[in-house]
Amino acid sequence: MTYPLLLTAFAISTCGLVYELIAGTVASYLLGDSVTQFSTVIGVYLFFMGIGSFLSRYVNKNIVLTFVQVELLVGLVGGSSATLLFILFERVESFRILLYGLVAIIGILIGLEIPLLMRILKDRLEFKELVSQVFTFDYVGALLASLIFPLILVPYLGLIRASFLFGLLNVLVAIWTIYLFKAELPWLRSLRAMAVVLVIALVGGFAYSDKLMAFAESSTFQDPIIYSTSTPYQRIVITGGGKDVKLFLNNNLQFSSRDEYRYHEALIHPAMASLKHPRDVLVLGGGDGMAVREILKYPSVASVTLVDLDSEMVSLFRDQPLFSQLNGDALKDKRVSIINQDAFTWLKRCHNTFDIAIVDFPDPSNFSLGKLYTDTFYRAVKKVLGPQGLVVVQSTSPYFAKNSFWCVVSTLSSVGFQTVPYHAYVPSFGDWGYVIGAKSPFQLAASYPDGLRYVSADTVNQLFSFPKDMLPTINSVNKLNNQSLVHLFESEWGEYAETH
Amino acid sequence: MPRPISRSLFLKGLVGLTAGATVGKLWYDWMQAKASIPCKMLGPSMSIGHKLRDGATLGRKSEQPPEECKVTIIGAGISGLSAAWWLKRQGMTDFRILELESHVGGNSASGSNRVSAYPWGAHYVPLANQESQYVRMLFEELGIIAGYDSTERPIYNELFLCHEPQERLFKDGSFQEGLVPKRGLQKSDSRQIAKFFETVKRFRDTVGSDGKPAFAIPLDLSSTDQAIVSLDKLSMSQWLQDNGFDSKPLLWYVNYCCRDDYGSALEHVSAWAGLHYFAGRRGNAANAENNSIVTWPEGNGFLVDKLKQGLKDQIISGAPVIAVSDSGSAVDTVFVRSETGECLSTKSERVIFAAPRFISKFLLKGDLAKSQVDFEALSYAPWLVANITLRTVPRARGTALAWDNVSYYSRSLGYVVATHQNITTRAGETVVTYYLPLSGSDPNVARHELLSTSSEHWSKVIVADLEQMHPEISKDIIAIELWPWGHGMIRPSVGFIWGDTRRKMKESQGKVFFAHSDMSGISNFEEAQYHGIKAAQGVLDQLRRS
Repeated sequence: MTYPLLLTAFAISTCGLVYELIAGTVASYLLGDSVTQFSTVIGVYLFFMGIGSFLSRYVNKNIVLTFVQVELLVGLVGGSSATLLFILFERVESFRILLYGLVAIIGILIGLEIPLLMRILKDRLEFKELVSQVFTFDYVGALLASLIFPLILVPYLGLIRASFLFGLLNVLVAIWTIYLFKAELPWLRSLRAMAVVLVIALVGGFAYSDKLMAFAESSTFQDPIIYSTSTPYQRIVITGGGKDVKLFLNNNLQFSSRDEYRYHEALIHPAMASLKHPRDVLVLGGGDGMAVREILKYPSVASVTLVDLDSEMVSLFRDQPLFSQLNGDALKDKRVSIINQDAFTWLKRCHNTFDIAIVDFPDPSNFSLGKLYTDTFYRAVKKVLGPQGLVVVQSTSPYFAKNSFWCVVSTLSSVGFQTVPYHAYVPSFGDWGYVIGAKSPFQLAASYPDGLRYVSADTVNQLFSFPKDMLPTINSVNKLNNQSLVHLFESEWGEYAETH
Repeated sequence: MPRPISRSLFLKGLVGLTAGATVGKLWYDWMQAKASIPCKMLGPSMSIGHKLRDGATLGRKSEQPPEECKVTIIGAGISGLSAAWWLKRQGMTDFRILELESHVGGNSASGSNRVSAYPWGAHYVPLANQESQYVRMLFEELGIIAGYDSTERPIYNELFLCHEPQERLFKDGSFQEGLVPKRGLQKSDSRQIAKFFETVKRFRDTVGSDGKPAFAIPLDLSSTDQAIVSLDKLSMSQWLQDNGFDSKPLLWYVNYCCRDDYGSALEHVSAWAGLHYFAGRRGNAANAENNSIVTWPEGNGFLVDKLKQGLKDQIISGAPVIAVSDSGSAVDTVFVRSETGECLSTKSERVIFAAPRFISKFLLKGDLAKSQVDFEALSYAPWLVANITLRTVPRARGTALAWDNVSYYSRSLGYVVATHQNITTRAGETVVTYYLPLSGSDPNVARHELLSTSSEHWSKVIVADLEQMHPEISKDIIAIELWPWGHGMIRPSVGFIWGDTRRKMKESQGKVFFAHSDMSGISNFEEAQYHGIKAAQGVLDQLRRS
């Protein structure tokens, strides 16, 4: 019975180290700064192993029973640790308390294992043999764990499955011990039943780890995901809770159906209504069709050209009734033609003329998006506008990123547009900014289409005044060869993200 | 009591484990080798060059009479194409250009695949100086310079100006903006770096006693003031030492620049050339910073394509020249049609020899062979260029992917991203061009190493180097293509630029004019173009007089 028990030492030490590595890795994934995460996790873990070893002195009766119970508990807690950490990351106030709590529990249990095992073996081996052999197996197990973890477990199984697998191993150790000591153990039946239930649960977790991972991801969103897909250009996620449908592109909120009318009315109407008879409209970006819905409220419109890179995004909002009802089937309208190309390259080849261009791109959060906010880009827009032409640009928040907002204004002015900046309050986003660029003097409309809920002739003037805290401190023009907008945007939103 | 582990069991176990580990490792290596990345060695046609060097007979006689033309240009690199550009501009079209390779462009050659066009060598031009009038002329013609503002500053086409971010450096585990080291500097390092840039700025503004700028582009327009020219007599490393520069990060940076532009380390570059890199560029623009450059996905292949348009009737490619001789009334240039193996020739009044200068010793025959040039004094740096097609842009810590991406720890110069200038938001596949100057050892030894080592070996070296910056890059590599440049670029060794050899290299020999950046001692677009145009001017001048 001695060698089987020594093999147990080998197995449990492997499991123990794997849990520690899993906790360290998950913490680095989720919190970043791997050096800090690994050193604190390892330190806390070893400390609580010491606590576990200390507590082992209070186990006086039925050491084998306690050992089996510890193994079952380690199997449960350790085995589900990665899943717990991933899923609860978004749902708990303080993730670190959960993390170190979990590390502490596993540490205590692992700390109990070796002293208990040595006491089980103490009558079977001479003391020097006992110490030498138990620790040999213990350390060899540690080496094995440290090698298979980065080389096999993480690349081939992933963290969630690896943790279930090793939880299973702990439960098997318990079953093995129950088998070896069946003559001495009380409550055999209930111990066996418990082990079987755990085996089933852990095997289930292992088999369905993909679903669990998806669930863990979905917990980054408040509401249930009703649609998600990865196109060659972006990850589209649509969540829906009751009346509120939200669209996320690469995890950034694009609209919430509860208040998108505010965003889109403010984007379209101040400029559109100021034109006498807008005929030909160009929309760059905005594949969700909400802007087109607003544009079609003008009977003079003869054509709407929508240029959006992502054909899947457009067909989603044209052909899926669940989503096309949000834009009132605007994308199915005969007047709308859809072009799935890069806006910049398309513009450079375009020879048509438009009365108004709506530029509704994602925020300039990286250098390739930043190119769509440059003077070179706006020059290309200007070229396709008629002499009375207007352009409207969604231009991030003048509150959170005021210099970014005013950089868009300066860039539009630098290519010869008369600029009219304004902003609207959209609860889901906060205070949001737009800029109208006009080729000839701009004058606000006296009336607006019927049925608008946000923009009206009486209140529209408010949109055009900026309080002091939204005025710029830096003035710069965004160019392909300086990308000053991306630099500003990074520093301003970065600052905001850090303090919240 | 169980038996303790016996000594023999322990030893057997140990042997067993060792054997197991060895077999496992071999198996693993075998699996890795099987999954290797497809790689291909391309490169200039060396066999013809080497046959010429060895005096082998090439081609068979043809019955066709020689083709008569006013001028024969040998070599369709930037010099040859620029000579042709100038002749055409002056209304002279009766010339032929003979090119060894099946494509034109020389060091500015480029390639392309499904993902992007990419350079095989030269890949950018700095903003043109005031005195670089021919560069400006060409840039105006091609719309690279779109106009001038009220203060006479050129307005560049913004699609061609290098988009931000231009450069980043991998140091201490992550990327920083710019190539001058910023992280982990001692106070003294920062002080020396600042002093170095002040010093080169002074040189930039210095005018010699002859009223010319200390460092001009092309360099023949520089001042010949002895105080400045004498810098050519010491090495860049000596100059740095003499001026109290010993900060490691600074020396790394200056050495990087010398390897980048001259393919050689500090010790082998003349101080005049080393300083020219920093003090020569005085170009400005109405719409860019002074240190900007213009670049294209295919590198200077863009300029080659523009220059060769309209020269379709004159360019004969796949046509290695094997002999040039003066028959008294004309110059006979014999060349082989690679496709047919036939020997053909041109009979022309003048020849512009725009191939690398050292090749003239193999090609010029009869009286023309009596050259004053000491060819032994010419030293060429070998280079290896690789184009690597990637599934996705390489991921790394630190600042975002730039046009030029460099590692502080590598013997390579890092890589430039061919798709950087694209105006698309599509992420995904890209091509990066990796540059490795073999500046470490003696050029002859390095050239031998370059040409005798397999493409698999080189691609392993390159992947291992890239993995330092991007640990997971190997699984994103679709293919690697390699281009060895045995005589990649001339080295501005100590004393070369203002010495006798270079002066003699520039002199024409009878009816043969020479044009190549070799005659500047530094290899770049501006110098190559300048010598091409100067040769064309010389030829036109003589033809007009006769």
